[in-house]
Amino acid sequence: MADTPIQAEMDVERQKLEADIVCIGFGPATAGFLIELSRHIGGEEGAPPLASRCQPGMPLQVLCYERAEDLGFGVSGVVTRARSIRESLPGLSPADIPLGAAVTSERMVYLLDPVGASRRSRTVRIGDRILRLAGGALGMRDDAWELPWIPGFLHKTGGWVLSMGQFMQWAGMRLMGSGLVQLWPGMPVSRAVLDGQRVVGVQLLDQGTDRQGRPSDGFLPGMEVRAELTVVGDGPVGSVGRQLDERFGRPSRSEAPSDWAVGMKMVVDLPENSPLAPGAVYHTFGYPEPEIFGFMYVHPDRVASLGIFVPSWLNSPVRTAYRCLQHWIQHPYLARRLEGARLRSWGAKTLQESGRRAEPFLVGDGFARIGEGSGSTNVLTGSGVDEAWATGAQLAAGVAELWRAGLPMSRDRLEAAYEQRRRSSWVEREARVAERSRDGFRRGIVRGMLGMALAGWTGGRLWWPGGSRSKPRPIESLESFYRGRLTPEEIDAERRRSQSQGLALHEVLMERAGWPPIPHDGRLLVSHQDALLLGGKVQAPPGYTDHVVYMDPGLCETCGSRLCIEVCSGQALRPGERGVPAFDREKCVHCGACLWSCTRTLPGRPERSNLDFRVGAGGLHSAEN
Amino acid sequence: MDTILLLLHTGPDGGLTRAARETVAAGQQILRDMPGASLVAGVVGGQVQPAIEQLASSGASRLLAVEGPAFGPARHATDAAAAAALIRSAQATLVLAAGTSRWSRALPAAAHRCQGCIDTHATGWAMVDGSLAITRWYYRQRMEAQLRRTPRPWLILFDPGIFPPWDGAPGPAQAQRVEVDADPNLQRTRVEGVQAPAAQAQTIRPDADLLLVAGAGWTKKQADGRAHVQEAEALLLDFLAKSRASLGSSKSLVDLSGEGEAVLSFLTHLNQVGQTGSTPRHPKGLATCCHGEEPHAVGWRFIHERRAINLDPGCGWARGKADVLYVADAFAVLAAVNARLAQAAPPAPGTPG
Amino acid sequence: MTSTGYNIVVCGGLAPDPLQSLEPAMGPSGPALKNEMMLPVVLDPWASHALYEAAHLAGRIPGSKVWLVSLGHRGKLQQMMMTVAQKVPFELVAIEGAAGGFTDPAETAAALAEAIRSIPGLDPARLLVWGGWESATRGAGVTMALVGERLGIQDQFQGVDEFKVQPDGSFRILERVEGGQHQVSICTGPPVLAGWATGSLPEPRNNPQIGMQNMRSVMPALQKARTAKVGAEGVRFDRITLPQQQRATRVVKDLSPDQIADEIIGWIRQP
Repeated sequence: MADTPIQAEMDVERQKLEADIVCIGFGPATAGFLIELSRHIGGEEGAPPLASRCQPGMPLQVLCYERAEDLGFGVSGVVTRARSIRESLPGLSPADIPLGAAVTSERMVYLLDPVGASRRSRTVRIGDRILRLAGGALGMRDDAWELPWIPGFLHKTGGWVLSMGQFMQWAGMRLMGSGLVQLWPGMPVSRAVLDGQRVVGVQLLDQGTDRQGRPSDGFLPGMEVRAELTVVGDGPVGSVGRQLDERFGRPSRSEAPSDWAVGMKMVVDLPENSPLAPGAVYHTFGYPEPEIFGFMYVHPDRVASLGIFVPSWLNSPVRTAYRCLQHWIQHPYLARRLEGARLRSWGAKTLQESGRRAEPFLVGDGFARIGEGSGSTNVLTGSGVDEAWATGAQLAAGVAELWRAGLPMSRDRLEAAYEQRRRSSWVEREARVAERSRDGFRRGIVRGMLGMALAGWTGGRLWWPGGSRSKPRPIESLESFYRGRLTPEEIDAERRRSQSQGLALHEVLMERAGWPPIPHDGRLLVSHQDALLLGGKVQAPPGYTDHVVYMDPGLCETCGSRLCIEVCSGQALRPGERGVPAFDREKCVHCGACLWSCTRTLPGRPERSNLDFRVGAGGLHSAEN
Repeated sequence: MDTILLLLHTGPDGGLTRAARETVAAGQQILRDMPGASLVAGVVGGQVQPAIEQLASSGASRLLAVEGPAFGPARHATDAAAAAALIRSAQATLVLAAGTSRWSRALPAAAHRCQGCIDTHATGWAMVDGSLAITRWYYRQRMEAQLRRTPRPWLILFDPGIFPPWDGAPGPAQAQRVEVDADPNLQRTRVEGVQAPAAQAQTIRPDADLLLVAGAGWTKKQADGRAHVQEAEALLLDFLAKSRASLGSSKSLVDLSGEGEAVLSFLTHLNQVGQTGSTPRHPKGLATCCHGEEPHAVGWRFIHERRAINLDPGCGWARGKADVLYVADAFAVLAAVNARLAQAAPPAPGTPG
Repeated sequence: MTSTGYNIVVCGGLAPDPLQSLEPAMGPSGPALKNEMMLPVVLDPWASHALYEAAHLAGRIPGSKVWLVSLGHRGKLQQMMMTVAQKVPFELVAIEGAAGGFTDPAETAAALAEAIRSIPGLDPARLLVWGGWESATRGAGVTMALVGERLGIQDQFQGVDEFKVQPDGSFRILERVEGGQHQVSICTGPPVLAGWATGSLPEPRNNPQIGMQNMRSVMPALQKARTAKVGAEGVRFDRITLPQQQRATRVVKDLSPDQIADEIIGWIRQP
């Protein structure tokens, strides 16, 4: 097993800090929670201000610890209906937020494969042929077909295009300016602190350690922050959320998250003569692989966010978001619109696409869970921010009620005050419709799309069944995936070459399978390294432990796929000694794709993959994503 | 009409330093484009006569000096007082000086005392619509501006290496002494001397012709699947010793050493070159085991000729950032280079021939 | 009993997070950075070293206190404080004003000196004014010198890497000078101005307790920040450009290490 001390077990004295409420992670859910709660703390709602229980005479003491080094680093560009945000902040206009715009148009575009390297099923190929034959009549242009109509459940009419980075910064400034809550970026929370069944606070990450987590120069043991309520908003791959899942298990109707996607995106500066209008929204599917969805949102001042989602059900053993992104932006439909554009920012994040089906216990004694990690993302409408914010705001309303009544933050009280609110809200109602909408994707792209349509039109009463969800679908072997394109001997030679050179396999295999080399231009088509440095501004402070750990390296030695290396968004995982991937913390963007792409499970623990993705410091340093 | 004052401090021998001679060249060039302007030289030092005689053919119409034991050492209080006195005495409208540590420390105060303004790190000049404009960098060499100022006197400190040092013939000359009262209040600071950097930092040589930049690749595993950090250290130190090159490093390599990793032990943050480090000036630069991506290349802005050794032919150096990219194993190349340098090295002084 | 500690005032401004892509933009009031308000900011790196060294000295000399005087847009200062306030204890003195690289150091210095003069109870006989020797924005090395000048401090040091208090109360100071060397000076005592290079202390760890303690004064300081007019009076920027250097790279793929070594040796030896 990995020789890595678990910080909880390290026998060091830890300083303690007292607060009333401690929050983990500052994403849209926590922002919604804090914005709503701060109104109650300050007594804006007409009721008396909320008073601290740990520091009598003071207002409610609320602390929020964010892993990234500033607020809004490492999140994403979105189009959102923003219903909950508008409810919390009446009168707010998207123009109040940098890079915000109201949605002005929406297009859904099917992209054909202009290079012939895409792995398309027979059905898709037949469909493509028909489209090409009927192209003129259907208005086909640039190897793409703009669908004449978008299903209502996918519409974001009246919604907003936002840069989540800028929106989080805006929300953070507003909160800090109120003086009612404290936000501390650059401070990862390593675990929840438990007293029996009760969460009593959090422990912050040790600082001044070596890469194995052992005390080193300037060692500062992570403090314990004790609080009556711990708000867990650490996102889809948050380590505290997973700790609580392990500790408390899951509700009987819930299953471990099994549908994921890595969303990789870039923010680009558009040229002066760009035809793209602010508020324009594009959704694409069909290319570079049929399973890959893409998006482009146009911000004011000639800026656009664009990117793709590479899902866990893309059954490729060389699943690489970056290379796919590069092919996607070269598709004639996009290339024409992006001519003269230049990379400004870049990043990646995981989306938990199981939604409500993987909903954990939302509350327990001393804790509540909000946001994407609590299963709030709606996979049918492709909406997560609105829902996340709503869950945070719902928790805040409930907590204010309990606090004012002098009631404890116990499981039953939180169930009544928060969970019931959530259950009776649109978040729950829409999540139920969406719950099984994507199952069909397990049987292919066509059935997946049909399943979404069925679920959307019937209010979730019908869907396309996706087969067993008890365990993840095994990834095809390289030999099987490339059958007919590369021989097993050729694959083996490439595998050995990549191992000796410490390189991922996808570049060479994709090119041998027909994908053209990337014509780097230093503007939009830049090396992966340049995307990291120039776009994501990725960096990691020294003095923290490695947060990607292989629990049993022996399992990696016999792993045939090493999908973690291929999927890594930052080239932070590379072939290492004896086949065990080597982790370079400097390059990690904390997207967490390696966590759900690991194909090996620990002996006797089928739910637990061999790759442990812990909380870590550093990552993206761009607030424009 | 403009009066251009060349503000010069002497070297330890009382003569003009290279930086001072560059300032003289700057003044002569600018004077040619400013009809009617006159040139004045003002020298500060413990003893200034050698410098004054060197300036005999400089074209300066007046030679001024502040001289005395109190003005020998580089000290803010006395230098600022001396510079302000010279500016006033010359009635200068433009003051040119070298961006030495001594003048950089003292001249802002002198500008303030003369109700003037000051620019440092000037890298060029031009006449625009009949008035002087300078260029200088902003945001750590990320963008360059050309600017002009209306207030006078305008003090301009040029970076070293911008002008070829003037090398005119010395001759008999006398300076007009400008008296400055070096009262005890100005001498609360005593300069003890200079201290060479610690032995392990000897590899930073700002005056070297060649900059060698070591990237994180030196500490990564090599073709045999293992890291060879000790071998990398030996190769690099051997090269530095033989070539007298200055050593730079990428950020990632410096950060690695901050984490107690078994990495190149002689590297510190002082070696760091790039967007988050320094931007040194050397005629030539050789990058080894580091990618030439944009943030790294910022540190190379003032490296005239650039070559790189990297195993990855697609690395950033290939895309217009280096003159030559050798796609090769830097371990093997540096070993071969060191062998050649050893063959060619002259015997060390005192070695029996 | 009078205290023997120092009043250490550190001046530290904002700088864009170092890896951000920067572009100039001409605005109505002169040049600025494109998207300046969107860029993440940090405390100017050299000023950070000054702050850490100040906190270190204050921690060793009882009765000492550290102030951080910072000029910038209030929202950006607040953002910076979220990180800096976790590092070391200080009291913030905030000034609302322009803080970009294209403002004139003389105007910045005037605002800083005025703010320092307004700190109640500051004792000139115990005063150490510290900051970075240059900023990451303007990179002039002028601001701190002018702050010192305006405060009448004759003993100034720039590029400081070490500042030691000797048993007799004098200071032994190491400044970076040419040739990778340090100039060693002894100064009899305060008031002294030091523009720091890097010093020798590592960046302090983030400490939540220090953060909470600092925040008690940070938020009120931000709220009562005085506005200073800081610009670049008398300066005319003709143009601001990004360097666009593209070289014709010769990629050499098929030479042996020996052949490459021969080429490199030949190149090194060319005058």
